Amino acid sequence: MNLNVKAKKNNSYDAIVVGTGISGGWAAKELTENGLNTLVLERGRNVKHVEDYPTMFKKPWEISHNDRVTPEEAEHYQKQMRTGYTIRQTTKHWWVRDTDQPYEEIKRFDWIRGYHVGGRSLMWGRHSYRLSPMDFEANAKEGVAVDWPVRYDDLAPWYSHVERFAGISGQALGLPQLPDSEFLPPWDLNCLEDHLKESMAEKFNRVLTIGRVANLSQAHKGRGSCMNRNLCMRGCPYGAYFSSNASTLPAAEATGNMTLRPHSIVDSVIYDEELGKATGVRVIDAETMETHEFYANIIFLNASCMNTTMIMLNSRSDRFPNGLGNDSGELGHNVMDHHFRVGANGQYDGFEDRYYWGRRPTGFYIPRFRNLNGNDRPYLRGFGYQGGASRQGWQRGVRELAIGKPLKEFIQTPGKWTMGMTAFGEMLPDHSNRVYLNHEKRDKWGQPTLVFDVEFKENEFKMREDMKNDAAEMLEAAGMKNVTTFDDPGGPGLGIHEMGTARMGRDPKTSVLNKWNQVHSCKNVFVTDGACMTSAACQNPSLTYMAFTARAANYAAEELKKGNL
Amino acid sequence: MERIDRKEAIKRTALLMGGVVFAPSILGVLKGCTPSTDIWRPSLFNAKQAAIVTALSETIIPAGETPGATDAGVPGFIESMVKDIYTEEQRELFLEGLASFNEVCEDETGKSFDRLTSEEMFEFASIKNVEAIESEPLEGPQFFLLFKELTMIGFFTSEPGATQVLRYEDIPGIYQACIPLEEVGRTWAT
Repeated sequence: MNLNVKAKKNNSYDAIVVGTGISGGWAAKELTENGLNTLVLERGRNVKHVEDYPTMFKKPWEISHNDRVTPEEAEHYQKQMRTGYTIRQTTKHWWVRDTDQPYEEIKRFDWIRGYHVGGRSLMWGRHSYRLSPMDFEANAKEGVAVDWPVRYDDLAPWYSHVERFAGISGQALGLPQLPDSEFLPPWDLNCLEDHLKESMAEKFNRVLTIGRVANLSQAHKGRGSCMNRNLCMRGCPYGAYFSSNASTLPAAEATGNMTLRPHSIVDSVIYDEELGKATGVRVIDAETMETHEFYANIIFLNASCMNTTMIMLNSRSDRFPNGLGNDSGELGHNVMDHHFRVGANGQYDGFEDRYYWGRRPTGFYIPRFRNLNGNDRPYLRGFGYQGGASRQGWQRGVRELAIGKPLKEFIQTPGKWTMGMTAFGEMLPDHSNRVYLNHEKRDKWGQPTLVFDVEFKENEFKMREDMKNDAAEMLEAAGMKNVTTFDDPGGPGLGIHEMGTARMGRDPKTSVLNKWNQVHSCKNVFVTDGACMTSAACQNPSLTYMAFTARAANYAAEELKKGNL
Repeated sequence: MERIDRKEAIKRTALLMGGVVFAPSILGVLKGCTPSTDIWRPSLFNAKQAAIVTALSETIIPAGETPGATDAGVPGFIESMVKDIYTEEQRELFLEGLASFNEVCEDETGKSFDRLTSEEMFEFASIKNVEAIESEPLEGPQFFLLFKELTMIGFFTSEPGATQVLRYEDIPGIYQACIPLEEVGRTWAT
């Protein structure tokens, strides 16, 4: 009895945050800055900023085997390798070994994960866009899924709040479909990108702008300016892009209120039937296999969309036999990602005396232009493009008729300007797209594994026609030659924007979370990672997770102080 | 050695090239590598194979005013790729392709490739390069182009290749979007 009381005291906090990625880092920062004694749990190892970025300074000739891994090693990463860019010698340590972290696919789903402090905030693409008023209204207007319980204006101040800290570079445009952030100076478009921008404005009345990214175009909040090496995914020695490791976790640490516990796999949330709320979490120590319980007044689930969902599904009690907060039966459903890998490439004759200096950590962005004023296309919603232009390098010499001295000379002058773009399209929420637990098949920590039953549907495939043809049309109109299109969706998940499995909504009967990201029926549990999304929009989602997290964390801290939680 | 059936050869070369070196990447960028410039002691290639690999890679990227493939450690790089990164099947196909290349050379010139003068090497390899480029669209991936690409990857990601033949800046510092080519001078290595 006494032991239990003591254990409980030692393991008790004001708040627990599960996960240290983009949203978990923000929860940790905001809760600790509100004075809450906060335990931050991470299932993987610790990664200290700079210290634990082993490949950040490696030059091309300091990396063997063209940065590739051996076939024996590749065996462990068969699903993570589906991206085509993740499993390299210089970055493989950031991605899970599929042989250690199995999941099942009723239909192909590319679940690309990083289990360590910082999560995927270390490897993310850094594109940061606000959702628009239109995005929050679309479900209600079109009768799709359920209405968002918030509107753009609810989130706008919180977008500003996180942008001012994270540092987002970009160009303000005043577009209704893509509201401006609080920007650091933008990177410049290169000659051909500028040319396309002018052509698109003139011929299509469409906009092209520099990608809005969480890369610092100037020193910001104690972090250094970007050096234009474009090696972000290895970890940045200057802290010049936003990651939990460089940004939010050091801020949380500085408050003195954070206890960070790596190697802590959360098994489930502890629900107290009498109190009618959660009291803590059960944790498996990944190294010792021991189980622990930690207690807190507030629990933030930021384990990433699918892992948060797994924890909730696995948190079964008499009150919640189908998983914590799953009165609606929607938990695990409505899986979304973005569908992409469709677009066009082309070459340009001209600007042969122009070149660029440095490796820019972003490309261009074309904001959504379809279905903006009414719905005049054979599908709902829309898409944006990401792309870039550059001059051909030495690679073009492989199929050059020359070898020897002439080849060497040929290759010293850069080749033609080329340009490519891929669209990122909105995927509609659909109840039949779901994940669920397999309790029979367990991982090496004895945890149930996840089963994916998700597919792109008719609306996505109809949209892809425009995504492909519009790209080709815009390139051709700008005078590009040899324009070719591509369309290879891969599996859902490949966008690494998993969303929607514990959606927000107005009605507890049809949604899991309320407008403050609280579990409807268990108010001291908050979910602010991708799981909370009611629709996907077509913008890269991380900035929205940051804003929801900061908003919910400050609300939670206030409610706790008022004695409401 | 028995000649493999032409169709079979094409099929197998396609497998070889589709597998590792030509794996399509959405970014289309090939990054990094380390040809070691230490003394190379072949551990997979026999002396004959090593001699042909050295001669052919140097023919594709010869030393002149700037270093060539041998200076940059390209033969060792090629061996490391074939030995460590290729699957067993791909490895066998590479070695067959190399043997077949040399057989044709012996048939047509009466000498093993590594025994030709450098002028003869250049002439023979130039013809094979043109033939490979011309037949690729119809016949599929060609061993010569696979070898050429391996040579170029090894060379242009080596320090001499990246810094003396091309232009490399480890830490560019700033980004300038549209400047006169002469301010950079040469193609960026990366």
